[in-house]
Amino acid sequence: METVVLVTLAASAVRATTPLLFAALGGLFSERSGIVNIALEGIMLFGALTAALVTYYVELPVLRETPGARVPYAPWIGLLAAMVVGGGVGFVHALVSIRYKADQIISGVAINLMAIGLPAVILTGLFANSTTSAPVANRLPSWTLGPLTFSPLVYGAFVLVPIVWYVVFRTPFGLRLRAVGEHPEAADSVGISVIRMRYTGVIISGVLAAMGGAYLSIGAFNQFITEMSGGRGFIALAALIFGKWHPLGVLGATLLFGAFQALETQLGGAALLPPTVVQSLPFILTMLVLAGFVGRAIPPKAIGKPFHKG
Amino acid sequence: MNERLAVASLATLAVLAVLVAPWAAFNRETGARSAILLLPNRTIDFTGRTEALRAPGQRVVLSLSLVALGALIGAAALGARARRIVWIAAGGALLVTTMWGLDRFGGAVDEQRLIAVTLAIDDAIDGARPTLDIERLEEIRTTVGERSVAATIEAARTAGLIIRRLPYAGAALGPAAFLALVAGFVALVAGLRVVRAVNRPLDRVLAGAAVPLVSIVLALAAAAVVILVLQPTPQAAGVVIDGPLMALAGRLDTLWYAYYTLFAGSLGTVKGFADALSFSTPLIFTGLAVGFGFQAGLFNIGAPGQMILGAIFAMFVGLYVPGPAAVVLPLAIAAAALGGGLWGALPGWLKARFGANEVINTILLNFVASSLLLFMLSSNPTFAAGAVRVLQLLGVVIGSMLVAYLVPWGRRALGRRPRLTLAALGVVVLVGATILSQPQPGDTPQVLRLPFKVPGSEPKSYEIGEATRLPRLAGLFGLDLRRAPSENQVDLNVAAFIAPLGGLATLLLLGRFRPGLRVRTRAFVALVLGAVAYSVLVVAGLGGFALTVPITNLNGSFLIAIGAAVFVHFFLFRTTWGYELRATGLAPKAAEYGGANLRRNTVLAMSISGALAGLTATHYVLGGALEDYALRQSIPINDGFDGIAVALLGGNTPVGVVLAAFLFGVLKNGGSSLNITFSDLTRDVVSMILALVVLFIAAKGFLGEGYTNPLRRAMALGETPTEATGEGEADARAQRPPVYGPPPAGADAAGEGSAPAAGAPSTDREDPS
Repeated sequence: METVVLVTLAASAVRATTPLLFAALGGLFSERSGIVNIALEGIMLFGALTAALVTYYVELPVLRETPGARVPYAPWIGLLAAMVVGGGVGFVHALVSIRYKADQIISGVAINLMAIGLPAVILTGLFANSTTSAPVANRLPSWTLGPLTFSPLVYGAFVLVPIVWYVVFRTPFGLRLRAVGEHPEAADSVGISVIRMRYTGVIISGVLAAMGGAYLSIGAFNQFITEMSGGRGFIALAALIFGKWHPLGVLGATLLFGAFQALETQLGGAALLPPTVVQSLPFILTMLVLAGFVGRAIPPKAIGKPFHKG
Repeated sequence: MNERLAVASLATLAVLAVLVAPWAAFNRETGARSAILLLPNRTIDFTGRTEALRAPGQRVVLSLSLVALGALIGAAALGARARRIVWIAAGGALLVTTMWGLDRFGGAVDEQRLIAVTLAIDDAIDGARPTLDIERLEEIRTTVGERSVAATIEAARTAGLIIRRLPYAGAALGPAAFLALVAGFVALVAGLRVVRAVNRPLDRVLAGAAVPLVSIVLALAAAAVVILVLQPTPQAAGVVIDGPLMALAGRLDTLWYAYYTLFAGSLGTVKGFADALSFSTPLIFTGLAVGFGFQAGLFNIGAPGQMILGAIFAMFVGLYVPGPAAVVLPLAIAAAALGGGLWGALPGWLKARFGANEVINTILLNFVASSLLLFMLSSNPTFAAGAVRVLQLLGVVIGSMLVAYLVPWGRRALGRRPRLTLAALGVVVLVGATILSQPQPGDTPQVLRLPFKVPGSEPKSYEIGEATRLPRLAGLFGLDLRRAPSENQVDLNVAAFIAPLGGLATLLLLGRFRPGLRVRTRAFVALVLGAVAYSVLVVAGLGGFALTVPITNLNGSFLIAIGAAVFVHFFLFRTTWGYELRATGLAPKAAEYGGANLRRNTVLAMSISGALAGLTATHYVLGGALEDYALRQSIPINDGFDGIAVALLGGNTPVGVVLAAFLFGVLKNGGSSLNITFSDLTRDVVSMILALVVLFIAAKGFLGEGYTNPLRRAMALGETPTEATGEGEADARAQRPPVYGPPPAGADAAGEGSAPAAGAPSTDREDPS
């Protein structure tokens, strides 16, 4: 009995970690290149929306022909579209922050604001309903690996951690990325294009965050709901700081937050605490973490500063 | 941007519009189906029921407009003086022609409407149904020419005859005429630069307003794409789109009417105006809050949470503090400010003490505040017995912390190793919680019944007491619309508003242009002028302006908002504290060197910012803007985020914030009409426009440094800047094609406060993530 509860808890912690991990690893690319990406939350929402809409419209013609048919490729196309759109939103953030040297936080906030308004407008146009998309019949499948049964994106997120570590710390690309975030003038002087590296970093962060969003809408659920990310983008950002901008640290931090969210579901479900109280716990935890009593985080030195090319 | 290019491209756009876009609409049905007119005499009908209308003078208007617009474009090639004179002449001609054409057209439409009304009355008199007052109708029939169409219809209604289905709903401006007017106005203003006295103030306005204006136009243009994609041209069943011109005109009309709907309701009627002011009230507060933070170099995204805490505090005072209004009402307002202020001070303190970034903390506190509000207004929250014990533990720990902090040596002991203290506390709490939360025999879940929550599942508190309620607009005029809904006429003495303003302006202007005059003389002149103005205005009939007070949510909170704006202006620009805060915002290192206490300033700025956001409770709780005078879960906390857009658009200054808040109030009020008028659009279009405004302002309207950087703009205008060193040179180099080389030393330092020396940890250090 006890073990069943624990296994359920662990599994739901892993699921809750997945979107956070995607977003935080995405944020890592952006912030390591020196661009604050507070837009993670909004990019997740755009990813979730795109995934749900594209999946729905890909499977629609088939389902019209033969109701109830499986369309196994639909969610994958949805995921791909989400990645493209995420990259696109990342590009907008990069364009405004790099090309126009905007305050990166304001630019990110603008994207987050847009992610509240635009989905509602689009949903109204498509489904005459401003808060939810039509449910999709084909979610991402569940893959069983031994005792584990998860969405492929869950495996993907965890596999991504060593990959990101390798890319950021063992490849020339990663070295340049970090150099650009630490000391852009120095990087520039040895011939690294600061601008291009930063664009790349922010676009990758958009792609990854959108994958986290797609997991929410077509992996863990079967439709898009406005503001369904519920602050995960911000928690991911905190996890990034907590994890000291390092993939392994990020993994630990997101697992902690994921576990907390899983616990929240369990606590609320078991009527131990009113769900409203439990909801606020991860946010309070995040604030305590940010207050830095668990060790001081040192950000990439050039973060948040526009680069003026000499 | 070059003024020649601007006027010429605007005029070209207007030429295209005059040729192919709707110039006016003369019938508009529910669902936004329209019958529109293209110059000359081309009618396009989407209602399927409207006859074409031939109005006089359209060829004249078309040819004159085209000539004037051609002159505007052609003048761009002339020398400065001739160009501006042509612009004044042609721009003026364009304005006059378009206004005249619209007037003629409106006259023709009214004539047709009147004919239809007369026919309907004739029919009714012939038919002589018993429900009708025939004598009265005949009397109306004989005097039909003396009244307006609307008045005739109203008179017929009192006689029992209801006239519907007029052939035309009335004449309304179309996008082509609007563009012609805009082109004429812009050309006129640009032409006025030939007068030297206009130049300087115009330059100042342009320099300050260019980025916001361009951003708004870009945001509206981007939203236009969304509107066009989502909303098909409204048309009646059976109407066939015939050819590309009709399709294009339909699209343009849809877009035009969507924006018309957004703006017209608020700017065209007294009730709409009052509603727009009501919508803008909370935006003024949140815009001031965010703008105040920006001035001090802090980004307060926590306005939503601060709004909630302000509302909760105000609700407590409103429900539980008895007493006369003169005491309790100020107390409730102060409580609203206190609640928001405390919620703002917390992230300020976290930043000052631990260097925790305020952006993320304020966002997180928004979620916490939302949960708190939901908890307080949810019906009978249930705690497990173990959880109650944990909460009691938390209460004891926090209580003893507070006590320890109040004792000086306790505070010193705790302050010496803050992180260790926190960690130890965390361990104590975690271990204690684990032990206490173990289920024990005989535990029963504890149901909490919150005393202020109304019974039932509706998430709201009881209504606050009468004494703490702010009066609505009618109440401010001394009317009670609930008791006597029909007595809503007041005599508004407009002169008594305008004359003192004129006197004040005289006083200020004299001070600026005749500084030699003694104050006493100036005051006397101002007083005399004010008195003269008052008598002239009264003679002009503005002494008793009959106003029908609309039923609206606008309430006394608006006055508090204006007061708050005045306070912020005074505080920021007229006090030492404000000066210090602004200095901290501009260059924290320099300010600290100059003796500013950064930590204290951070907490102070966040508290004031939070207090301003908390004051929104005066609108939503004390002002009863949400249906009743209660704390409701539906309090629209997105106003807090909209405050970011308001602050940015208003350039973080109180005056700008009030103007920007009014614009957004208009848009929000229009957004609700958008829901009703169009089948596929929602008010969310407005929140999208707001987000776009923030994005474009962040990108400085894509204007490029040549325009937004004052030094470079001066250079572009051909005036030699006096201090073209350092920053200017670095920027000039930044414009050159990429050359690898050492970065300009001044470039970084010229921006915001640069980072401190490497490896020197300090709490005020910007680590913005």
